[in-house]
Amino acid sequence: MVHTLDVTALRCPLTWVKTKLALERLQPGETLEVAVSGEAVESVPRSAREAGHAVAVEGSLVRIVRR
Amino acid sequence: MSGSSRRGLFRDLAAAAARVAIPDEKPKEPARAPLLNDAELDRYSRQLLLPEFTEMAQLSLRDASVLVVGAGALGSPVAMYLAGAGVGRLGIADDDTVEVSNLHRQLLHFTPDVGTPKTESAASKLRFLNPEIIVEPYQVRVDEANAPGLVEGQDLVVDCSDSFATRYAVNKACCEAGIDLVEGGVVGWSGLVMTIVPGATACYRCAFPTEPADARSCAEAGVLGPAAGVIASLQALEALKFLTGVQPTLVDEFLSVDLATLDTIRVNVRRRADCPDCGDPC
Repeated sequence: MVHTLDVTALRCPLTWVKTKLALERLQPGETLEVAVSGEAVESVPRSAREAGHAVAVEGSLVRIVRR
Repeated sequence: MSGSSRRGLFRDLAAAAARVAIPDEKPKEPARAPLLNDAELDRYSRQLLLPEFTEMAQLSLRDASVLVVGAGALGSPVAMYLAGAGVGRLGIADDDTVEVSNLHRQLLHFTPDVGTPKTESAASKLRFLNPEIIVEPYQVRVDEANAPGLVEGQDLVVDCSDSFATRYAVNKACCEAGIDLVEGGVVGWSGLVMTIVPGATACYRCAFPTEPADARSCAEAGVLGPAAGVIASLQALEALKFLTGVQPTLVDEFLSVDLATLDTIRVNVRRRADCPDCGDPC
Protein backbone atom coordinates (compact mmCIF):
# COMPACT_ATOMS: atom_id res chain seq x y z
CA MET A 1 0.00 0.00 0.00
CA VAL A 2 1.26 3.44 -0.96
CA HIS A 3 0.01 6.29 1.21
CA THR A 4 -0.41 9.80 -0.15
CA LEU A 5 -0.15 13.20 1.49
CA ASP A 6 -0.52 16.69 0.05
CA VAL A 7 1.36 19.44 1.90
CA THR A 8 1.30 22.01 -0.91
CA ALA A 9 -1.01 24.29 1.09
CA LEU A 10 1.34 24.34 4.11
CA ARG A 11 4.47 26.32 4.95
CA CYS A 12 7.70 25.05 6.48
CA PRO A 13 8.13 23.58 9.00
CA LEU A 14 4.51 22.33 9.07
CA THR A 15 5.19 20.55 5.77
CA TRP A 16 7.69 18.30 7.54
CA VAL A 17 5.67 18.08 10.77
CA LYS A 18 2.69 16.64 8.82
CA THR A 19 4.98 14.35 6.82
CA LYS A 20 6.79 13.15 9.97
CA LEU A 21 3.51 12.38 11.75
CA ALA A 22 2.16 10.52 8.69
CA LEU A 23 5.36 8.45 8.54
CA GLU A 24 5.03 7.60 12.25
CA ARG A 25 1.76 5.84 11.44
CA LEU A 26 3.19 3.68 8.62
CA GLN A 27 4.84 0.28 8.98
CA PRO A 28 8.55 0.03 8.16
CA GLY A 29 8.95 -0.49 4.42
CA GLU A 30 5.68 1.24 3.53
CA THR A 31 5.78 4.18 1.14
CA LEU A 32 4.48 7.71 1.58
CA GLU A 33 4.09 9.87 -1.53
CA VAL A 34 4.14 13.52 -0.58
CA ALA A 35 3.02 16.25 -2.96
CA VAL A 36 5.18 19.30 -2.23
CA SER A 37 5.68 22.82 -3.51
CA GLY A 38 7.93 25.80 -2.85
CA GLU A 39 10.76 25.33 -0.37
CA ALA A 40 9.29 22.00 0.76
CA VAL A 41 10.61 20.53 -2.52
CA GLU A 42 14.04 20.86 -0.90
CA SER A 43 13.28 20.69 2.81
CA VAL A 44 10.96 17.66 3.00
CA PRO A 45 13.37 15.26 1.22
CA ARG A 46 16.27 16.66 3.27
CA SER A 47 14.45 16.15 6.59
CA ALA A 48 13.31 12.67 5.50
CA ARG A 49 16.87 11.66 4.64
CA GLU A 50 18.15 13.08 7.96
CA ALA A 51 15.55 10.94 9.73
CA GLY A 52 17.01 7.89 8.03
CA HIS A 53 14.26 7.15 5.49
CA ALA A 54 14.90 6.18 1.83
CA VAL A 55 13.85 9.09 -0.39
CA ALA A 56 13.26 9.57 -4.13
CA VAL A 57 12.18 12.87 -5.63
CA GLU A 58 10.29 13.15 -8.93
CA GLY A 59 9.53 16.80 -9.57
CA SER A 60 7.00 17.88 -6.98
CA LEU A 61 6.44 14.35 -5.67
CA VAL A 62 8.59 13.02 -2.83
CA ARG A 63 8.52 9.24 -2.33
CA ILE A 64 9.59 8.23 1.17
CA VAL A 65 10.02 4.61 2.24
CA ARG A 66 9.68 4.44 6.03
CA ARG A 67 12.75 3.00 7.66
CA MET B 1 -10.24 -22.88 -34.08
CA SER B 2 -11.65 -19.84 -35.83
CA GLY B 3 -9.51 -16.84 -36.70
CA SER B 4 -11.35 -14.54 -34.25
CA SER B 5 -10.70 -16.77 -31.22
CA ARG B 6 -7.04 -17.03 -32.21
CA ARG B 7 -6.88 -13.25 -32.23
CA GLY B 8 -8.49 -13.28 -28.77
CA LEU B 9 -5.88 -15.71 -27.52
CA PHE B 10 -3.03 -13.55 -28.88
CA ARG B 11 -4.60 -10.50 -27.25
CA ASP B 12 -4.79 -12.28 -23.87
CA LEU B 13 -1.17 -13.46 -24.18
CA ALA B 14 -0.03 -9.94 -25.07
CA ALA B 15 -1.89 -8.51 -22.10
CA ALA B 16 -0.36 -11.11 -19.75
CA ALA B 17 3.13 -10.33 -21.07
CA ALA B 18 2.51 -6.63 -20.56
CA ARG B 19 1.40 -7.22 -16.98
CA VAL B 20 4.66 -9.05 -16.26
CA ALA B 21 6.72 -6.35 -17.93
CA ILE B 22 4.84 -3.47 -16.25
CA PRO B 23 3.62 -4.55 -12.80
CA ASP B 24 0.33 -3.13 -11.60
CA GLU B 25 0.85 0.09 -9.73
CA LYS B 26 0.26 -0.44 -6.01
CA PRO B 27 -3.05 0.84 -4.71
CA LYS B 28 -2.88 4.25 -3.07
CA GLU B 29 -4.80 5.80 -0.24
CA PRO B 30 -4.45 9.04 1.69
CA ALA B 31 -2.20 8.81 4.77
CA ARG B 32 -4.24 8.68 7.97
CA ALA B 33 -4.92 12.13 9.35
CA PRO B 34 -3.04 13.01 12.55
CA LEU B 35 -4.97 12.81 15.81
CA LEU B 36 -3.76 16.31 16.64
CA ASN B 37 -5.74 19.08 14.97
CA ASP B 38 -4.16 21.76 12.77
CA ALA B 39 -4.07 24.33 15.60
CA GLU B 40 -2.22 21.86 17.82
CA LEU B 41 0.21 20.96 15.03
CA ASP B 42 0.98 24.64 14.63
CA ARG B 43 1.25 25.41 18.36
CA TYR B 44 3.47 22.44 19.15
CA SER B 45 5.33 22.25 15.82
CA ARG B 46 8.75 23.11 17.21
CA GLN B 47 8.69 20.26 19.69
CA LEU B 48 7.06 17.86 17.20
CA LEU B 49 10.02 18.49 14.90
CA LEU B 50 12.34 16.71 17.35
CA PRO B 51 12.91 13.21 15.95
CA GLU B 52 12.16 11.56 19.33
CA PHE B 53 9.06 13.66 19.97
CA THR B 54 6.26 11.74 18.24
CA GLU B 55 2.58 12.50 17.91
CA MET B 56 2.03 9.98 20.72
CA ALA B 57 4.37 12.04 22.93
CA GLN B 58 2.24 15.12 22.30
CA LEU B 59 -0.95 13.17 22.97
CA SER B 60 0.58 11.92 26.24
CA LEU B 61 1.03 15.54 27.30
CA ARG B 62 -2.54 16.40 26.27
CA ASP B 63 -3.86 13.54 28.40
CA ALA B 64 -1.66 14.34 31.41
CA SER B 65 -2.61 15.89 34.75
CA VAL B 66 0.25 17.62 36.53
CA LEU B 67 0.24 19.43 39.85
CA VAL B 68 2.78 22.19 40.38
CA VAL B 69 3.26 22.88 44.10
CA GLY B 70 4.17 26.55 44.46
CA ALA B 71 3.62 29.47 42.09
CA GLY B 72 6.86 31.26 42.86
CA ALA B 73 10.40 31.34 41.47
CA LEU B 74 10.44 27.66 40.51
CA GLY B 75 6.72 27.18 39.94
CA SER B 76 6.40 30.06 37.49
CA PRO B 77 8.78 28.77 34.80
CA VAL B 78 7.73 25.16 35.42
CA ALA B 79 4.04 25.97 34.95
CA MET B 80 4.78 28.16 31.91
CA TYR B 81 6.83 25.48 30.18
CA LEU B 82 4.31 22.75 30.95
CA ALA B 83 1.38 24.90 29.81
CA GLY B 84 3.24 25.90 26.67
CA ALA B 85 4.17 22.29 25.91
CA GLY B 86 0.51 21.27 26.07
CA VAL B 87 0.03 19.49 29.41
CA GLY B 88 -3.74 19.07 29.30
CA ARG B 89 -4.59 19.67 32.96
CA LEU B 90 -2.33 21.78 35.07
CA GLY B 91 -2.95 22.34 38.77
CA ILE B 92 -1.08 25.03 40.66
CA ALA B 93 -1.14 25.21 44.46
CA ASP B 94 0.00 28.15 46.57
CA ASP B 95 -1.45 30.19 49.42
CA ASP B 96 0.66 33.34 49.07
CA THR B 97 -0.21 36.68 47.58
CA VAL B 98 2.09 38.48 45.16
CA GLU B 99 4.60 40.85 46.77
CA VAL B 100 6.77 43.36 44.98
CA SER B 101 9.89 41.55 46.26
CA ASN B 102 8.76 38.43 44.34
CA LEU B 103 8.83 40.01 40.91
CA HIS B 104 12.55 39.72 40.13
CA ARG B 105 12.29 35.92 40.02
CA GLN B 106 8.63 34.87 39.86
CA LEU B 107 7.97 35.26 36.14
CA LEU B 108 4.20 34.72 36.19
CA HIS B 109 3.56 37.81 38.31
CA PHE B 110 3.73 41.46 37.26
CA THR B 111 3.63 44.72 39.22
CA PRO B 112 -0.17 45.20 38.89
CA ASP B 113 -0.60 41.73 40.45
CA VAL B 114 0.88 42.80 43.80
CA GLY B 115 -1.62 41.90 46.51
CA THR B 116 -3.52 39.30 44.48
CA PRO B 117 -3.29 35.57 45.23
CA LYS B 118 -0.42 33.96 43.33
CA THR B 119 -2.61 31.12 42.05
CA GLU B 120 -5.07 33.62 40.56
CA SER B 121 -2.28 35.68 39.00
CA ALA B 122 -0.61 32.50 37.69
CA ALA B 123 -3.79 30.92 36.31
CA SER B 124 -4.75 34.03 34.34
CA LYS B 125 -1.33 34.20 32.63
CA LEU B 126 -1.24 30.46 31.96
CA ARG B 127 -4.66 30.62 30.30
CA PHE B 128 -3.37 33.39 28.03
CA LEU B 129 -0.29 31.32 27.29
CA ASN B 130 -2.30 28.27 26.27
CA PRO B 131 -6.11 28.48 26.09
CA GLU B 132 -6.24 24.85 24.94
CA ILE B 133 -5.46 23.48 28.41
CA ILE B 134 -7.27 23.38 31.75
CA VAL B 135 -5.62 25.34 34.57
CA GLU B 136 -6.79 24.59 38.11
CA PRO B 137 -5.66 26.99 40.87
CA TYR B 138 -5.61 25.67 44.45
CA GLN B 139 -5.38 28.50 46.96
CA VAL B 140 -3.90 26.41 49.78
CA ARG B 141 -0.64 25.93 51.65
CA VAL B 142 0.29 22.34 50.91
CA ASP B 143 0.85 20.35 54.10
CA GLU B 144 0.69 16.78 55.33
CA ALA B 145 -3.08 16.99 55.82
CA ASN B 146 -4.07 18.19 52.34
CA ALA B 147 -1.21 16.79 50.21
CA PRO B 148 -2.80 13.33 49.72
CA GLY B 149 -5.99 14.88 48.34
CA LEU B 150 -4.10 17.27 46.08
CA VAL B 151 -1.81 14.65 44.52
CA GLU B 152 -4.59 12.10 44.00
CA GLY B 153 -5.36 11.57 40.32
CA GLN B 154 -2.25 13.37 39.09
CA ASP B 155 0.12 11.75 36.62
CA LEU B 156 3.00 13.78 37.96
CA VAL B 157 3.71 16.30 40.70
CA VAL B 158 6.40 18.96 40.35
CA ASP B 159 7.41 20.28 43.75
CA CYS B 160 8.39 23.93 43.50
CA SER B 161 7.80 24.73 47.16
CA ASP B 162 10.10 26.80 49.33
CA SER B 163 10.16 24.82 52.56
CA PHE B 164 11.40 21.46 53.74
CA ALA B 165 8.12 20.82 55.56
CA THR B 166 6.15 21.10 52.31
CA ARG B 167 8.73 19.04 50.41
CA TYR B 168 8.54 16.20 52.90
CA ALA B 169 4.72 16.36 52.90
CA VAL B 170 4.59 16.21 49.09
CA ASN B 171 7.19 13.44 48.96
CA LYS B 172 5.27 11.35 51.49
CA ALA B 173 1.93 11.83 49.73
CA CYS B 174 3.42 10.94 46.34
CA CYS B 175 5.17 7.86 47.73
CA GLU B 176 1.98 6.63 49.40
CA ALA B 177 -0.14 7.22 46.28
CA GLY B 178 2.53 5.98 43.84
CA ILE B 179 2.61 9.29 41.96
CA ASP B 180 5.80 10.34 40.26
CA LEU B 181 7.48 13.47 41.50
CA VAL B 182 10.05 15.96 40.27
CA GLU B 183 11.76 17.70 43.19
CA GLY B 184 13.71 20.91 42.94
CA GLY B 185 15.14 23.54 45.19
CA VAL B 186 17.30 26.63 45.04
CA VAL B 187 18.78 28.84 47.74
CA GLY B 188 21.55 31.35 47.27
CA TRP B 189 23.90 29.93 44.62
CA SER B 190 23.03 26.27 44.99
CA GLY B 191 20.24 24.25 43.49
CA LEU B 192 19.24 20.65 42.99
CA VAL B 193 16.89 18.56 40.90
CA MET B 194 15.73 14.98 41.39
CA THR B 195 13.05 12.76 39.84
CA ILE B 196 11.30 10.14 41.94
CA VAL B 197 9.38 7.06 40.80
CA PRO B 198 7.81 5.78 44.04
CA GLY B 199 8.48 2.13 44.75
CA ALA B 200 11.18 1.97 42.10
CA THR B 201 13.69 4.73 42.79
CA ALA B 202 15.05 6.62 45.77
CA CYS B 203 12.65 9.24 47.14
CA TYR B 204 13.43 12.72 48.44
CA ARG B 205 13.61 11.48 52.03
CA CYS B 206 15.97 8.63 51.01
CA ALA B 207 18.30 11.35 49.72
CA PHE B 208 17.70 13.82 52.55
CA PRO B 209 16.43 11.94 55.63
CA THR B 210 16.27 15.07 57.77
CA GLU B 211 16.07 18.78 57.19
CA PRO B 212 19.57 20.32 57.21
CA ALA B 213 20.24 22.12 60.48
CA ASP B 214 21.47 25.19 58.62
CA ALA B 215 18.62 25.30 56.09
CA ARG B 216 17.98 28.84 54.93
CA SER B 217 15.20 30.25 52.79
CA CYS B 218 15.42 32.64 49.84
CA ALA B 219 14.19 35.36 52.19
CA GLU B 220 17.32 34.84 54.29
CA ALA B 221 19.95 33.75 51.79
CA GLY B 222 18.75 35.65 48.72
CA VAL B 223 18.64 34.32 45.16
CA LEU B 224 19.05 35.65 41.65
CA GLY B 225 16.04 35.23 39.37
CA PRO B 226 17.88 33.33 36.64
CA ALA B 227 19.47 30.99 39.21
CA ALA B 228 15.98 29.85 40.17
CA GLY B 229 15.10 29.82 36.46
CA VAL B 230 17.89 27.32 35.70
CA ILE B 231 16.61 24.87 38.31
CA ALA B 232 12.98 25.41 37.26
CA SER B 233 13.91 24.76 33.63
CA LEU B 234 15.60 21.51 34.62
CA GLN B 235 12.48 20.49 36.58
CA ALA B 236 10.23 21.27 33.60
CA LEU B 237 12.57 19.34 31.32
CA GLU B 238 12.47 16.34 33.64
CA ALA B 239 8.67 16.56 33.74
CA LEU B 240 8.36 16.62 29.95
CA LYS B 241 10.84 13.76 29.55
CA PHE B 242 8.97 11.74 32.14
CA LEU B 243 5.49 12.38 30.68
CA THR B 244 6.52 11.60 27.11
CA GLY B 245 9.21 8.98 27.68
CA VAL B 246 11.33 10.57 24.94
CA GLN B 247 14.48 10.66 27.07
CA PRO B 248 15.59 9.09 30.36
CA THR B 249 15.05 11.01 33.59
CA LEU B 250 17.25 11.76 36.58
CA VAL B 251 16.36 8.93 38.98
CA ASP B 252 18.32 7.33 41.81
CA GLU B 253 20.52 10.39 41.79
CA PHE B 254 20.17 14.12 42.15
CA LEU B 255 21.80 16.85 40.17
CA SER B 256 23.49 19.45 42.32
CA VAL B 257 24.15 22.72 40.53
CA ASP B 258 26.55 25.42 41.74
CA LEU B 259 25.03 28.46 40.09
CA ALA B 260 28.04 30.62 40.92
CA THR B 261 30.62 28.45 39.14
CA LEU B 262 28.17 26.50 36.92
CA ASP B 263 29.69 23.24 38.17
CA THR B 264 27.26 20.34 38.25
CA ILE B 265 27.58 17.12 40.24
CA ARG B 266 25.41 14.04 39.89
CA VAL B 267 25.08 12.35 43.27
CA ASN B 268 23.92 8.72 43.35
CA VAL B 269 21.19 7.96 45.87
CA ARG B 270 19.92 4.55 46.96
CA ARG B 271 16.51 3.59 48.22
CA ARG B 272 16.59 3.07 51.96
CA ALA B 273 14.71 0.07 53.29
CA ASP B 274 14.01 2.01 56.49
CA CYS B 275 12.78 5.16 54.70
CA PRO B 276 9.65 6.30 56.54
CA ASP B 277 8.15 7.63 53.28
CA CYS B 278 8.92 4.93 50.68
CA GLY B 279 10.46 2.04 52.64
CA ASP B 280 9.05 -1.47 52.57
CA PRO B 281 6.29 -1.60 55.22
CA CYS B 282 7.20 -5.27 55.99
